[in-house]
Amino acid sequence: MGTLETLLLRRCSLRHWRMAPRQSLLLVGILALGVAVFVAVRLANHAAVASFTHFTDTLTGQSDWIIQPAAGTLPESVLPELRAALGPRPVHLFPVVESTAARVRRTDESANFGRTTYTLLGVDLVAVANLARAQTPNAAYFGQTTGDPADFWAAFRAGPQIWLSRAFAATLGDARTLDLVINEQVHALPIAGLIPTAKDAPRVPANLILLDLPQLQLLAGKPGRLDRVEFLVEPGPRADERRDELRALLEQLGATGERWTVTSPGARRETAATMTRAFRLNLTVLSLIALLVGLYLIFQALDGAVVRRRSEIAILRSLGVEEGTIRRAWLAEAAVLGLLGGAFGLLLGWAGAQLSVRAVGQTVNALYYATTVESAGLDAGEIALGLLLGLVASLVAGWWPAREAARTPPAQVLVRSAVAAPGHVALRSAWLGVALVAAGVLCAQLPPVRFAGGGRFPLAGYLAAFLWIFGGGVLCGFLLPAVARLTRRARTSSAVARVALSHLAAPSGRHRLAVAALLCAIGMTAGMAILVASFETTVRGWVQRSLQADLYISSNGAQSASSQNRLSPPVWRALATHPAVAEASVLSAYPIELDRTPTILTGADLRVVRARSDLPWVQPPLDDAVFDAARNATLVLASESFCERFRKKRGDTVRVPTPAGPQVLTLAGVYADYGNERGSLLVERARLVTWFGDDYAANVSLFLRAGADAEGLRTELLARHPGLAIYTNAALRTEILRIFRQTFSITYALEVIGVAVAVIGLALTLSSVLLDRREELTTLRALGFARREIALATAVEGTTLAACAVAGGLTLSLALGWLLIHVINKQSFGWTLGFALPWGQLAALAVTVVATGAAVSYAVGRWGADLPADREE
Amino acid sequence: MRLFSALLLAALGALGPVAPLRAQTPLTTPDGFAVPQPGHRFEFPRDHGNHPDFKIEWWYVTGHLSAEGGRRFGFQATFFRSAGPRGAADVNPSFGSGQIFLAHMALLDVATGKFLHQEKLNRAGWDAASASGTLDVRNGAWSLRLADPTDPSPTPRLELTGGIRADAAFTLTLTPAKPLVIFGENGVSRKGADPTAASYYLTFSRLRAAGELTLATDGDATAAPEKLRVTGEAWMDHEISSSQLSAGQVGWDWLSVQFTDGRELMLYRLRLADGTADPASTLTWVDPAGQTQRAPFTLEVLDRWTSPATGATYPSRLRLATTDPGTGTAVRLLVEPLAKNQELTGALGGIPYWEGACRIRDESGRELGSAFLELTGYAQALKL
Repeated sequence: MGTLETLLLRRCSLRHWRMAPRQSLLLVGILALGVAVFVAVRLANHAAVASFTHFTDTLTGQSDWIIQPAAGTLPESVLPELRAALGPRPVHLFPVVESTAARVRRTDESANFGRTTYTLLGVDLVAVANLARAQTPNAAYFGQTTGDPADFWAAFRAGPQIWLSRAFAATLGDARTLDLVINEQVHALPIAGLIPTAKDAPRVPANLILLDLPQLQLLAGKPGRLDRVEFLVEPGPRADERRDELRALLEQLGATGERWTVTSPGARRETAATMTRAFRLNLTVLSLIALLVGLYLIFQALDGAVVRRRSEIAILRSLGVEEGTIRRAWLAEAAVLGLLGGAFGLLLGWAGAQLSVRAVGQTVNALYYATTVESAGLDAGEIALGLLLGLVASLVAGWWPAREAARTPPAQVLVRSAVAAPGHVALRSAWLGVALVAAGVLCAQLPPVRFAGGGRFPLAGYLAAFLWIFGGGVLCGFLLPAVARLTRRARTSSAVARVALSHLAAPSGRHRLAVAALLCAIGMTAGMAILVASFETTVRGWVQRSLQADLYISSNGAQSASSQNRLSPPVWRALATHPAVAEASVLSAYPIELDRTPTILTGADLRVVRARSDLPWVQPPLDDAVFDAARNATLVLASESFCERFRKKRGDTVRVPTPAGPQVLTLAGVYADYGNERGSLLVERARLVTWFGDDYAANVSLFLRAGADAEGLRTELLARHPGLAIYTNAALRTEILRIFRQTFSITYALEVIGVAVAVIGLALTLSSVLLDRREELTTLRALGFARREIALATAVEGTTLAACAVAGGLTLSLALGWLLIHVINKQSFGWTLGFALPWGQLAALAVTVVATGAAVSYAVGRWGADLPADREE
Repeated sequence: MRLFSALLLAALGALGPVAPLRAQTPLTTPDGFAVPQPGHRFEFPRDHGNHPDFKIEWWYVTGHLSAEGGRRFGFQATFFRSAGPRGAADVNPSFGSGQIFLAHMALLDVATGKFLHQEKLNRAGWDAASASGTLDVRNGAWSLRLADPTDPSPTPRLELTGGIRADAAFTLTLTPAKPLVIFGENGVSRKGADPTAASYYLTFSRLRAAGELTLATDGDATAAPEKLRVTGEAWMDHEISSSQLSAGQVGWDWLSVQFTDGRELMLYRLRLADGTADPASTLTWVDPAGQTQRAPFTLEVLDRWTSPATGATYPSRLRLATTDPGTGTAVRLLVEPLAKNQELTGALGGIPYWEGACRIRDESGRELGSAFLELTGYAQALKL
């Protein structure tokens, strides 16, 4: 930058910002807010993915390979088989059993959702010592911390006991035992100590609980079974070659009978990342909207500044300062603001991330896998990104105002009213608006982008939304002259109204922009409200139809997609055969991998399912065979999300992996399930028992005999089985809707922010417009207009703007609502929703915007009426 | 007499008061483990297998190998079994909790002095086990077994698979050149005044070793490993006991010598805290036919070496004075390590010790044979 620009910046800009510090602060604040939202969401996302912990890393260092079955567990007998197959190769085999647990729910805690899920990791506490990490001098391993041999033996002989992370242990004080719900049992487990770590080991995740492997096998109801086996190639010469050879060998061994797949911790992390990619992208899009809104406000504010300082610029111009120099000085000013805003935004965003990270983590936990999100870190990359974002945003927003500033004619020829408002050319083309809307219609027809791991992102859908928003914004500007004409025809005698309408009859670019921004905010807000209302109506109907039983019972530890807590056969049988029970529907569920994409295989007595509840069909079965245990051996029902995810339809076949070998099943029908987005398959439960060789149940629904008291039975069963979570029909419905509302609570906040920003934008626009019209205001005053009348005229102008925006915005929201429901939601999650309009909410939104618009513009009008004739500010 | 590990020494704590010297041998230790009984009749291959009634047991192979071109190596392959306090029932036998297996492997490249070693610790179960009817003991990928598990002969062929991380691997066939030796009096080898401090001590004092040694190429992480045909001589102890140390003992020195004239010699010196040797210390000659005869001895330290890893100072060159039972003449032998550093640093077992290949010379400098020397209790007294 030349010295002249520096001088200009110092003399003019700095002076200006010093004289109007509140405005500068506001500007930096707005920018900071935009950057902050983006940064916060990004950090929270980051943390949610990073926290997918491969739990064994802390103990073993990174494994080279992992074998795990596509469904169910591995028998222990694979261990000697593998050791024999590996021969003298220096490889550590590290069998792992993994399960989940929850703290016992306090009686005053109604919510099951959102409680921490603890990961129970069962490893061979003796063999851990063999790994390189444990062999480094002075590394602590189990029972060796005190040097007392009795401790060594006690570590794996003293019955079930647990080791905790330092962070978790700190929250327990000096408790000697911890009550944990594992499956349906409450266990008071002795706390043996802290999980030992070596110096270079990753930090122990707070929710990790460690046990000796055979103890966890028993506790988790997996005697003789392993969830996976990890392999660590002895480091040293030719490690890469030996690693590759090992993989080939493992693949070859596992291929026989499709017993397992070979993966690596990196691949598991990658799977976790792809599982949540669509979810995270959706969040990012929302945060981008925040940035966009910020951009709009910056633009308004800088534009206002140009208008206010026009005479100053004109004088500089007449002093011979070049156009380019002025432009550069303005851009530099914008850049400084941008960097400041970016820096504050980073701080704010970081703080916001600390709050939002828990919410994001909870959602990920509920929908996908166990995370241990606690905090979100800010690294150099994020800092650079935040600053860059602020910089780019302010430069983009400052571009037009800078050009306007540069084009200011020298003082001699400065005629205030002749200056056109920025950005008007594009906004004045009706054709452009029509073209944008048409392009949006085309985009709405396109399929989603698909990721490995079953994730889908409705890129074209979002593009359509943006096109419609911009198109709507352009077209909405044409409402202003139309309204002006209409009202003029109504022959108002009020001078105030005439003055206001005269401005709208030939709306400036600023007017159009303000309407467009308001329209955008209202459209998105109302569109979101329509989505949520439709979703809620649909879920309510689904709950009504499919929840028919009197009592619903699962483990008290089952609370999220990652939970593995189940009901053991004696317990669910006792429940099902209780004298008060007329019939029971038992559901089993196993996480499986189809084409390396996780999904869920469930089993139920299909006859009972049909007899007792009204499955909401998307594609009903063509005949009754699927409900007849004698005829449904090769049939399967699939959820709608499953079909969307795996691109299947009724009549297709699915190759389902099971411990008894792959099963080829035909899709007999498709049902709606709003419970999970991974999709699920439903087969006759008896088959699952055969395939998986265990008889555990995920949950049981009880239909009571006529006259039985559900609440009384619930109390009775809870007293007998404190590890159960039992819901009466009404309580479960309430709980589901509560979870639903909790999930969408963030959208309400977004709505408020959207409207607030748009109204602030309106105020900024009107103040710029009034500044621009100072001479006119002088004239009006000279004609005898009172301050109140000038304020009223501005209020009419602003209210009309707001009303036009509301009309256009509500129209836009119908289109966006349709897009969200039928394209974006359907493509992301595969859920069909019925369209429902939240009339009350939309009306309230319209009234609020128009009323606040009126109030704000009246206030701006009052301020404008006091503007001096022709002096800066 | 060999071994030591923190686990093993746990036995000490449970020993109880020292019994009168000439008391009758008790059947069990106070903590319920079997005590070696005089006059025990050994049966083979059964007694090559494990003895789970006893607390401690090891199969201990040491030897000297040479490859074509004259490269020489010392090696050690040790399998320990150690039972925990009695009375624990297995939750799952694949991950047993009754006993644990520790294994040590070491290899010395004589020319370069490079000494490799590794330890493994596993519970009895899927990855570590010993058979009870024959010799078949393994720990991870390492194993020692009879080539024919049912071979009842006094000279059965053995197969050893071992290695050190990814740096070295060996598979050796060990063929006894002499029948099994049972050390001690009436089948019991005494280790101290305490009547329970004794072992069954079975030894193949001369095994012909032949097999393959695979060595990673130094300094080149991708080069193909070097495969060497090796032959040599080895020594194998199988020792079974429930208590190896008596009160007051701080460690021991153990030496095996294989003379070129076909005889062997084994000694252990149990060191007391005041620096003197426990009266139970013994030197035994094995003649070419496998007959044993004891002789008095003294060991004199000529040189010392301090380990950079553990800071322990070990005897490094020793003078052994004893008598030749054949001629009755005095014998003075020099024991010289083939490399100074043959220390196993004891990351898992908890106790560092020195165990290494040596050569034996007479005072005129003539080489008489090869030897293996074990030095324990120098880093810290073997006391808990």
